Amino acid sequence: MYKHDGHDLFVIDGHMHFWDANPENWKNKYGESWIRCFYAYHSSLSPADAVWPFEKFCRYGEEALVDDLFRNGYIDMAILNSTYLYEFYKNGFNSHAQNNVVKSKYPDRLLLCGSFDPREEAAGIDAFRRMVAEYPVTGLKLYTAEWRNGSRGWRLNDPWAYKYLTLAQELGIKNVHVHKGPTVYPLSADAFDVHDVDYAATDFPDLNFIVEHVGLPRLDDFCWIAAQESNVYAGLSVAMAFVHLRPRYFGEIMANLLFWLGPDKLCFGSDYAIWSPKWLIEKFMAFELPEDLKQEYHVDLTLENKRKILGENTARLYGIDIAAQTAKLSQDGIGLGR
Amino acid sequence: MPENVPCDFPAGYDGAAILDRLEQVLDPELDEPILDLGFVRSLRLRSGHANVALRLPTSWCAVNFAYMMADDVRRALLNVAGIRQVTVRLGDHCAAAEIEAAVNEARPFAEAFPGEGAGTLEALRLTFQRKGFLGRQERLLRELRDAGCSPEIICALRLGEVSVCDDKIMIRQVQSGTAQTLQRYLERRAELALDCSPAAALIVDLEGKMLSADQLLAHYEAVRTVRVAMEANGSFCRALLSLHRLDAHRGERDVQT
Repeated sequence: MYKHDGHDLFVIDGHMHFWDANPENWKNKYGESWIRCFYAYHSSLSPADAVWPFEKFCRYGEEALVDDLFRNGYIDMAILNSTYLYEFYKNGFNSHAQNNVVKSKYPDRLLLCGSFDPREEAAGIDAFRRMVAEYPVTGLKLYTAEWRNGSRGWRLNDPWAYKYLTLAQELGIKNVHVHKGPTVYPLSADAFDVHDVDYAATDFPDLNFIVEHVGLPRLDDFCWIAAQESNVYAGLSVAMAFVHLRPRYFGEIMANLLFWLGPDKLCFGSDYAIWSPKWLIEKFMAFELPEDLKQEYHVDLTLENKRKILGENTARLYGIDIAAQTAKLSQDGIGLGR
Repeated sequence: MPENVPCDFPAGYDGAAILDRLEQVLDPELDEPILDLGFVRSLRLRSGHANVALRLPTSWCAVNFAYMMADDVRRALLNVAGIRQVTVRLGDHCAAAEIEAAVNEARPFAEAFPGEGAGTLEALRLTFQRKGFLGRQERLLRELRDAGCSPEIICALRLGEVSVCDDKIMIRQVQSGTAQTLQRYLERRAELALDCSPAAALIVDLEGKMLSADQLLAHYEAVRTVRVAMEANGSFCRALLSLHRLDAHRGERDVQT
């Protein structure tokens, strides 16, 4: 909960990780390159006093996560990504099974995303059904750039992707987070192209597609699609980080998103542990859209819009009643300790 | 900036021609000169052989773009009188050896990197040249608007009516923006083979069609988003490049190695 001038803002972190990138888990050179790439984004865009040692960044563990999000980072609820990367990490980077270890300890605070890989075709269908049956999966995180057996990626409108999306819908899943963001070595930039979202969003009107990292640096392509498709949302992680180092540019991104999508389709995410919610939220709340941008775009980042972005929009997507959830969370181990 | 690039030229050699050529080499995705971005680490000339060391922001910068920049440097310097050979180095880039071997032997990307988006390099370049055209046009439109030009005036202007005086754009004897903004726009317009004759409209879309005053606002709203999107990678690159500087300052090994 973020308190601002006597107002309470319920905060949902729509995009965060509980990863294991310990050297013992690196399968090959790519396991190391991957986490070093994340670390470069972390150390170049974070405020100096929020930069961690590399060793902690590889494996920060459950206590740090609970402190950084719920105790010190204003987060009420958070959505755990599942990113497997079995070609780079022996036990995976953060599989749904790993994520569920922490989810099961804080069931009311964490939401769990599962995933599928359409390249498994028919062979993966049973495992997908089992994952949804055995784990409290309420959303999906799809990673179209993941390597698999020589393939450098897939697209949301591949025939097998459509079969999995159909099945996910039958199993009651509503929200699909899709990673479309900056290049992460060693993944191919082409695999983060955003145009496949357009097809899937049109063909699955009852699913919500949250495009994580707003397609950066393909913000323009993302905006055209999101402006046309009522079920496409902006996941703000990565874009949020500019609020510190390049606030003017952050303002330009926000002005464009408010202009094309409006305030009801923008969802906060920290991308923790790449960046920590405490400074992101403090700087975001202190940020005001520069006057010339307000006039140029005819939009504003008002307190009401910030409230929507930080929590209300994601709560709506996941059917969370904020008042009831606030009451519930005040009674758990973390809420009582406040 | 060029003055920050350590240059080692033979005694009495005027390096201005080299730096002028290098100034023309752009990061194709960012549409900014690699010299301004700080991607050129050092430059050395001996007996007609130029050695250029580049320093990309990260070791994982996309291989296709890294190849393009290295190859553009080689081609640019081969156009300088007296330079017969060019060797480009990429430092700690993850594919430095392969890219350097291909570029310095003038082998095409598709041959050097089969399977890495082979054959699409020119299509990729064209995609970003088109985005760059819109980004440059957005800056021009903004300056014209800020100078008080109405949509009707802007859409009616022909290239022949626009001139440059010192560092200003002149329209009907009125200063209307900076000459550099206009020149960058016209350069890219020519590269895309769009009509640049005096009778052609100043503002055209990617197909070369002129716009009506009614269409201009929607067009402007779109190109301004293209410009902001193009600046995203520039922001990442500058932030990531600052890590190198920080490390050089500390005298430590590079973070990415």
